[in-house]
Amino acid sequence: MSTSDDLASRLVDDMDPRLLEFIRARVNSFIKWDLVRFFYDNPHTTDTAANIARYTGREAADIEQALLALADSGILQIAHVSGYQVYTLTTDRATRELLQQFVLACEDRDFRVKAIYHVIRGMS
Amino acid sequence: MERKPTGIIGLDEMLDGGFLPETANLVEGAPGTGKTTLGLQFIYSGITVQQEPGLVLTFEEFPQQYYRDAAGMGWDLPALEAANKLRVIMTSPEVTQADLRQVGGLLETHVREIGAQRILVDSISHFERLNRDRIDLRESVYGFVNGLKRLGLTAVLTRESTTLLGGDPNIGQDIAFVVDSYILLRYVEIDSAMRRALLVLKQRGADHARDIRQYEITAAGIDVRARFEGRQGIMSGTPTLRMVEAFEGAFGRPRPQS
Repeated sequence: MSTSDDLASRLVDDMDPRLLEFIRARVNSFIKWDLVRFFYDNPHTTDTAANIARYTGREAADIEQALLALADSGILQIAHVSGYQVYTLTTDRATRELLQQFVLACEDRDFRVKAIYHVIRGMS
Repeated sequence: MERKPTGIIGLDEMLDGGFLPETANLVEGAPGTGKTTLGLQFIYSGITVQQEPGLVLTFEEFPQQYYRDAAGMGWDLPALEAANKLRVIMTSPEVTQADLRQVGGLLETHVREIGAQRILVDSISHFERLNRDRIDLRESVYGFVNGLKRLGLTAVLTRESTTLLGGDPNIGQDIAFVVDSYILLRYVEIDSAMRRALLVLKQRGADHARDIRQYEITAAGIDVRARFEGRQGIMSGTPTLRMVEAFEGAFGRPRPQS
C-alpha cells in the first residue's frame, strides 16, 4: 500500500461514516462548507444567490453553483418568490441533525484536518 | 382598548399602555440610540411576558449579532428559537416585499408555524435603497405595512437617521404618514455630556404623552426616565436653558417673600 493510501485509510477509519459520506457527497468544496456553516448559523435565512454572495463575501456566480448543488443534495430548499429564486435551509429534521453533527464535529481540530483532507481530495 | 405593551415601563406609560394591535410603529434614531434594543425588548417581552411569539426580520445584521446583543441583556434568543417562539429571519427587502404579495408566502409560513403576533423589522431604511423616488417609497412601504397587518402582526419598524444630533433633513415624512405611531430617539448634548431623548410624535387612534423623556440603555434594556426639565430645543440636539432657569443659574433662585 502506498503512503498516500495509508494516510487516506487512517483518515477514514476513525471518522463517523455518516459524516464522511456527508463531506464526500454533499460538502465537497470549501464554498459549500462556508455556505453550510452560514445556513447553520443563520437557519432562517431566505434570500437570492446574489444577496447570499454579499452576506458571505463571495462571487455571486460561484455561490449560485454551490447553492444549486446543496439544494440538489437536500441541504437547502429552493423557493420561487415572484420571479426571485431564493434559498433556505431544509426543514428535513434528519438533514438538519446531520448538519449540526458536522458543525459540532468541526470544533475538534483533528476532525477539521481530516474533513479538509477529504474536501481537497474530492476537488482534485 | 387592547394594547401590545412594549415591556418598557416608561414607554408604555407614554403610549397609554402600549401599541395598538396590528399596527406598524416606526422607531427612528441615529446609530447607537437603541432602536434595535427597543425592538428586541418589544419582541422578547411579548414572548416571555405576554406569551406572544415573535419574528425578527433583518435586512443587514446577521442573526448572530442579535443573539449576542440580546445575551448582553440576559435575553436568550437561541433558547426561544429552539422553543419555537421566535425566529430571526435574514433576508432582503426585495424578497420580503415580493413574498408578502403572494398567498402562502414564506413569511406567512413562519407566522403560521409559530403563531407569531409581533415582528421587528430592522430596518425599513433598506426600502430606500430599492425606491429612490419618494412616491414609490411611500407606496412600497404602504404595501409592506399592509402585508404585515394582514398577517395579524403588530410591528416595530426601525429607521436610521442620517445625522447624529438634531433634526434629520432626510426625516421619513413619507413613511411617517404610512405608520400608526412614530417614536423619535435623539442624542442631546447637555453640559458637555451626551444624553438620550425619546419622543412619541404620533399614535394614530390613541392618546399618547407629548413630553420629551430621557432614557438610558442599561444591562436590562431601555429604561425611560423623567422628562427634561428647564430646557428648550431638546430635539435640536443642543438645548438651551429656559429663560427662568437661565436667570436662576446666573443670579440664584429668588427667595420667597415672607
